[in-house]
Amino acid sequence: MAETLRRMLSASSAAGPGEESAAESGSPLLLLGGPRSGKTALLFAAALEVAGEGRGPIFFLARRPLQSLPLRTRAAFDPLRLQKIRFQYPSSTRELFRLLCSAHEAQGPAPALLLLDCLEEYLSEHQGPHEAARLVALLLDTAAHFSHRAGPGGSCGLMVALQTQKDSGDTAQLALLQRYFPACCWLQPGAPGPRQHCLRACLESGGQGPRTEWLVAFQPHGEMTVTPLSPEVGDPSSDKGTSSRSQPNFGV
Amino acid sequence: MAVTLPAVVEELLSEMAAAVRESARIPDDHLLSLKFIFGSSAIQALDLVDRQSITLVSSPSGRRVYQVLGSSGKTYICLASCHYCSCPAFAFSVLRKSDSLLCKHLLAVYLSQIMGTCQQLSISDKQLTEILLTEEEQDHQYGMVISFWGLKSLLVAI
Repeated sequence: MAETLRRMLSASSAAGPGEESAAESGSPLLLLGGPRSGKTALLFAAALEVAGEGRGPIFFLARRPLQSLPLRTRAAFDPLRLQKIRFQYPSSTRELFRLLCSAHEAQGPAPALLLLDCLEEYLSEHQGPHEAARLVALLLDTAAHFSHRAGPGGSCGLMVALQTQKDSGDTAQLALLQRYFPACCWLQPGAPGPRQHCLRACLESGGQGPRTEWLVAFQPHGEMTVTPLSPEVGDPSSDKGTSSRSQPNFGV
Repeated sequence: MAVTLPAVVEELLSEMAAAVRESARIPDDHLLSLKFIFGSSAIQALDLVDRQSITLVSSPSGRRVYQVLGSSGKTYICLASCHYCSCPAFAFSVLRKSDSLLCKHLLAVYLSQIMGTCQQLSISDKQLTEILLTEEEQDHQYGMVISFWGLKSLLVAI
């Protein structure tokens, strides 16, 4: 999934070369950020991206329906793409378990992407690390089953958004989740421009993989613009000399 | 496997798989390495393999899950696609304390994959759902055991 995000952000910014093949979705990705840091918008952008690839449908799981379209790009109004996104709203952790455990009973083409927004809302009911591990392991297992169903050459990506706490960051829980998600994308508020919502996305693929940063801005009318940030170039959004290589700190 | 073991373990397991393909047995030095890395879990895991306690359960959908009959008579579930076992030792030693890489059940699954000694069981899609779900009902009991262990280790630490 990390590759889908990399491709999506690289393609959105004119400078990015899209050298990966469309079917390669990469490792499962954990999207981390504070409240209103654009997690849902990025999940939705990933859904639209994969919906345009001509593969299977996209499963978008969340606790409650979206109040409005998180993005207003041209792709977001493409009925052919929107049609491929199947929204489901498991209202409790128990329901989410039931949905994941029975995912293989559904007929039809294998999904190309599994998305879950607000993982924290499903974890708060369950305190033990074993339950959290079971939930994310089942998410991975469901995506693996979809990949298997897609046949040779096909794969189902997995992208999960988790809201991080500013003060009471649960390091143990995050470490546990990172066992299962080698790739993480940290979202931090960027320098807000006039009338636009801005965030900095930092993708770490885990291991020796490259670390990439982008500046994502949401315009008031809903357009998303992406600018790659490279350590050499420095950060155009900030003149305080803060290194863009520094580890984002969410109080964890 | 999406959640990977440390490279040294992956390497050992793939060397063992190659040895089994060539000579249909695991060389002694590999067994010694296994014992060195996993301690007593290695013996217990090999014992589970010998007793054919590992069953690969699959349904027409193609989804698969491993069931391991533990020495206590309880059945645990190991996911086929990623590193997860429903046993209390996995919750405690692997997840909570991070002092083990895996539990004996997961090791037994990996070893039985290498040796090709899994029992096979085909069930319906609905039955597979039930197997994946039933574990949820048991979680609460495990939770109590774990918190008791947690208290005990705290007392020892003091």
